[in-house]
Amino acid sequence: MDRREFIGITAAGLGALSLGLQDCNSPHSVAPSDWVNVGVIGVGGRGQHMIRMLLRVPGVRITGLCDIYEPRFAEGRKVTGEPTAVYTEYRKLLEARDIDAVLVATPLGLHAEHVIAALDSGRPVYGEKSLGRTVEDCNCIRDAVRRTGRIFQVGLQYHYAPWYQEALRRIGEGRIGKVTHIYACWHRNNSWRRPVPRGQETQLERLLNWRLYREWSGGLLAELGSHQINFANTAFGAMPESAIASGGIDYWKDGREIPDNMQVIFRYPGGRTLEASYITTNRLDGAQERIFGTGGSVVLTHTDATYFKEPSDPNSAVPPEIAIQHKLITGPTYSAEQPYHGKGESPISGEAEDADLLACREFIDCIRNKRRPKTDEQVGWTEGVTVALGNRALEEGRRIEFSEYLGAAASASQQPPERNTQS
Amino acid sequence: MQMDDAFRDGAGKRSADPRRHEAFPGPGGVNAPVAVADTLRARSHRAMGTEFAVYLDAADDAQAQACFDIVLDEIDRLELTFSRFHSSSELSRLNRHAAEGPVVTDPEVFQLLASALDVSEKTGGAFDITVGQLTRSWGFAERQPRIPEARELAAAREQVGWRNVKLDAAWRTVLFARPGLQLDLGAIAKGYAVDRAIEMLRSVGVSALVDAGSSSMAATGEAFVSGWKVSIASPVDRALTICEVELGKRALSTSGVREQSFVHDGRTYSHLLDPRDTDPLDSATGAQATARQVLQVTVLAPSSMLADALSTAMFVLGYEHGSAALAQFTDCSALWIYSGADGITCLGHRWPGDDFLSLNTATHGQT
Repeated sequence: MDRREFIGITAAGLGALSLGLQDCNSPHSVAPSDWVNVGVIGVGGRGQHMIRMLLRVPGVRITGLCDIYEPRFAEGRKVTGEPTAVYTEYRKLLEARDIDAVLVATPLGLHAEHVIAALDSGRPVYGEKSLGRTVEDCNCIRDAVRRTGRIFQVGLQYHYAPWYQEALRRIGEGRIGKVTHIYACWHRNNSWRRPVPRGQETQLERLLNWRLYREWSGGLLAELGSHQINFANTAFGAMPESAIASGGIDYWKDGREIPDNMQVIFRYPGGRTLEASYITTNRLDGAQERIFGTGGSVVLTHTDATYFKEPSDPNSAVPPEIAIQHKLITGPTYSAEQPYHGKGESPISGEAEDADLLACREFIDCIRNKRRPKTDEQVGWTEGVTVALGNRALEEGRRIEFSEYLGAAASASQQPPERNTQS
Repeated sequence: MQMDDAFRDGAGKRSADPRRHEAFPGPGGVNAPVAVADTLRARSHRAMGTEFAVYLDAADDAQAQACFDIVLDEIDRLELTFSRFHSSSELSRLNRHAAEGPVVTDPEVFQLLASALDVSEKTGGAFDITVGQLTRSWGFAERQPRIPEARELAAAREQVGWRNVKLDAAWRTVLFARPGLQLDLGAIAKGYAVDRAIEMLRSVGVSALVDAGSSSMAATGEAFVSGWKVSIASPVDRALTICEVELGKRALSTSGVREQSFVHDGRTYSHLLDPRDTDPLDSATGAQATARQVLQVTVLAPSSMLADALSTAMFVLGYEHGSAALAQFTDCSALWIYSGADGITCLGHRWPGDDFLSLNTATHGQT
């Protein structure tokens, strides 16, 4: 198979090879024709991390590194463990003959340019989240994927985490009743600033700290919130109808242009709500999603999921023995209006794998088996547009109706498409 | 063996003017610098089962904050890579699957494992990243040490041995030749994390010292008035300075019985197990107090990773065998501190001359 030839996304691949455990780990079982050479556009911190993850997938080699900041070449080569070819122009990397697939890990404002060029070069593309900085960027990327027919996976890695999938399954089965609210937060206590080499502050500040400037960044909502927004869109099976937002540059007044704290409330069809909070001055709550249903709750973190029952609902997600053990039903420690501090149920534990590794494995497997990734361009589009309009609500200081930007025709595509369930 | 080593012996009395440092306590017997310029900023961070400390000389608060953030993020990344307690770590993935068949890993992890096995080979197995099952059977892993039953110990011995870890550089794979093998990078990963932190700070031109639990440390850049000097404290009296070492070109690591040990029937058992006979190393108290026993070893090496691994190996090997093994490593030196009937004794191998002269507070001698 020559992957530089057209790779169509066909249903034929869906039932194809299901790799066994050993095949997941060993390169010996990978046929020479199935080796995937990946070119990387954007070799900063995230790019380097994803290179490490890709290199844990058998039969993957990094054959090109592209960045406009030269120190990244030495860093990138250290991560690949070999003198990988380097490029300062992404078009030169895309012209190289020894690249089968492309990872785009550049600043958000450049995603559209780089992803579309990579798709047009005929390669499968792994594009970091958020999909694009603006609604227009998101539309262009989605259209390019459909126009070229190439495999595209957006970097929403938690989508592949088993505890996320299990939560979606239980929610779908009604195990926590009707989900009416999701509260998501990503609370940090740091400046979100990267150090700039001494003496080069003027030249390099915006390059190295692009996340702090509007030209390239979608701020906290894009860089952190996109995972949570994707979860809410998936769990609700819809995009929001509207967004209101608050926030500002209130603590880290260091010349940055994007808010250092932000709160957004998204309203979904059927009177459902996602309330999302991002702060950089306290990390007590960390990163988590709290999913509230009429019959119970789920708390998701980067490593696990914990289920809690609503005492008044007999259709509990928590088995009765656990509820009794934690005195939810009869114990004296629970009072109707007091927050619950006890333990819940964590059904998945022990052998969870790294979400980034799972996402990389999915990407490579989709290339080999001509399969559509779970986080395809449509999943990316719903996430990217939600982020972009949440940011717009803050920028314009008003309630944003999604229909204003998506038009009447968009309502049909607001529903996430049918997902294939192959893993 | 080249006799450039120093061996000094004498009375283990504290000098009239011991250099006392207002240093925070650390398990490794090394006191990090405290009394330095006003511009020094410090941040501590709990990771890898120890307390990391970062000292740096940043231009302003914003740069200091940014430096702390990237360094602590990197240390956390490495914990999530090398920890055997996180199920999603790369080390856990290898431990789960490498006995089933070869597992491909990324170059960073592969290189760390290769370095570890290289130290194992050159020290005759005195350093061994497969010793984890044994550490667990003695309860040190859970910090609840105990005497294991003979049968338990025998079973654990079956699951130990660095030679059962097969690395294939061409494929970048890891294979366990024996089921039940488990890797534990506790004696090398902290040093590597220090190296990575220093590398990041060097790249932005910031002078810094990074320290993992006061046992592994390295520095970069010009440091204030007096250089990045750290004092090596006596294992029996932390207020007593054995000598001072200037960091910069070389990293430092200390291993000692102070970190974890317990006494049973008059014998002291340390968490530093000898992988070759699988018993905890006996320190110099109780029944064996008359014999000279290693209390602490400090190693200087080109990288903190190597210093970390070698300090464990040198502790296990002792001065005589350790010096011979150390000769295979370029630009590495070590200082052993032994207990004796009349105090402590310091023995150095290639220990820096100037620093050695400052051995004015301990028992010392020369061969």
